[in-house]
Amino acid sequence: MQKQTLIMLAFIAASLVMSACGGAPAAQPTQPTAQPTQPAAQTDGKLAQIRAAGKLIVGTSADYPPYESIDENGNFVGFDMDLIRAVGEKLGVEVEIRDMPFDSLIASLQEGKIDAVIAAMQATAEREEKVDFTIPYRMTKDAFIGAGNTTITLNKPEDAAGLTIGAQTGTVQEGWIQKNLVATGLTPADKVFSYERADQAALDLASGRLQLVLMDAEPALELAKQNGLKVLLITEATAEGGKSIAIPEGASDLKAELDRIIQQLIDDGTVMQLQDKHGLP
Amino acid sequence: MEFVQDLLTTFNFIVQGLWVTISVTAVALTTGVVIGIVLAIARVYGHPSLQVAVTVYSVIIRAVPVIVIIFILFFVISRYVNLSPFWAGALALGFASGAYQTEIFRGALQAVQPGQMIAARAIGMSRLQAIQSVVLPQALRLALPAWGNEATLVLKDSTLVFAVGVPEILRRAQQVSARTFEPFLAFGVALLLYLALTLITTQALRWLERRYRLQM
Repeated sequence: MQKQTLIMLAFIAASLVMSACGGAPAAQPTQPTAQPTQPAAQTDGKLAQIRAAGKLIVGTSADYPPYESIDENGNFVGFDMDLIRAVGEKLGVEVEIRDMPFDSLIASLQEGKIDAVIAAMQATAEREEKVDFTIPYRMTKDAFIGAGNTTITLNKPEDAAGLTIGAQTGTVQEGWIQKNLVATGLTPADKVFSYERADQAALDLASGRLQLVLMDAEPALELAKQNGLKVLLITEATAEGGKSIAIPEGASDLKAELDRIIQQLIDDGTVMQLQDKHGLP
Repeated sequence: MEFVQDLLTTFNFIVQGLWVTISVTAVALTTGVVIGIVLAIARVYGHPSLQVAVTVYSVIIRAVPVIVIIFILFFVISRYVNLSPFWAGALALGFASGAYQTEIFRGALQAVQPGQMIAARAIGMSRLQAIQSVVLPQALRLALPAWGNEATLVLKDSTLVFAVGVPEILRRAQQVSARTFEPFLAFGVALLLYLALTLITTQALRWLERRYRLQM
């Protein structure tokens, strides 16, 4: 009985010791208190901070191939990942990528846990209230698709004039058709059809009820592959906005530098080359 | 054959999260045991004001979803104390589990017959001595079955720490599923790993229960 009690007490003692170890890291790193409070309050000089640290900490949500995912060996791969590494190289700092759920990215950026976010993210008005965005590194693109055996050829979006065309209700693409084809009298209003989902429009395309569908380029390529449809034209002219890197609010020096680097990477063809590498339109 | 190949690659990738899951669970359970035992003793034998304080902690923590405690620790508290995602997540789970374990140990302490305490005091032990060497050793034995239940719950709650970016088993399964478009395989592997961990935990605890059973 006594021996058993001793063993039990040893068990308690052991757990106490273990928890002492467990508790220590919570109490110990109190010295850098000044540092974590800084990014939230005062973000000017963010670029200098990153340069001094020699490291750019970037958050992403690695479940969105071909933009970002994790390969079998645990490496971050994808278009965004290659791009941010190229940016880091130009900045002259090491890039450390951290994976977290998409929903936690903005909060982590606001709290200074990470320096930037690259996650195929678009600069919406709601997000703009919380964080800042660089210039887009990749514009949104649209695609005109036709039936597999179609003889239609398009060189510019306006070539769609007069043809029966479908788009998803309430999308930018539908707005473009109404504004540029219907309102200008190029296409009669009864030749324009709206669908709840883009894949429904693709089905009508396959069955011959439509001659064209205008939609987002990335899902369009996937739909075309699955349903034997033909991609006729990929264009930025009908689309709006693009994907940007998010940075802490008010980090104006960082924004200026990243904007400059992104423009440089677009101009020298790096972005185009990476898009091709990852099969992006 | 291709399936076996896929299964192996998927398994090799997800199993790297096993150690993270085990560490998070171990830290959380240890933190929880300490909080649980200390608070339970305070709740049963402490000053009335201390009893109220413990009850308030237990009620509030049990009322708040664990994920909220994790967010508070990682996004709010760590403005002042530099906590890594791992420690924020594991300690948050520990604080939450501590509240549940307080109730487990309180029940066990109260289940020890009052005569034990009276007898210990009668032979000249102080209250603390009596708790330490007479009441607590018996109470810990009584607490084991309920504690084993709590351990498996904490193991599964450890999936929540991914919300702050800790790559445990479930997140690794999500990553594979996003890459291979084979959710069944990815989450199937995760399921097997959790099943194995739970079985090992329950077996170990059953052994402990047998080993320290009271002959009454």
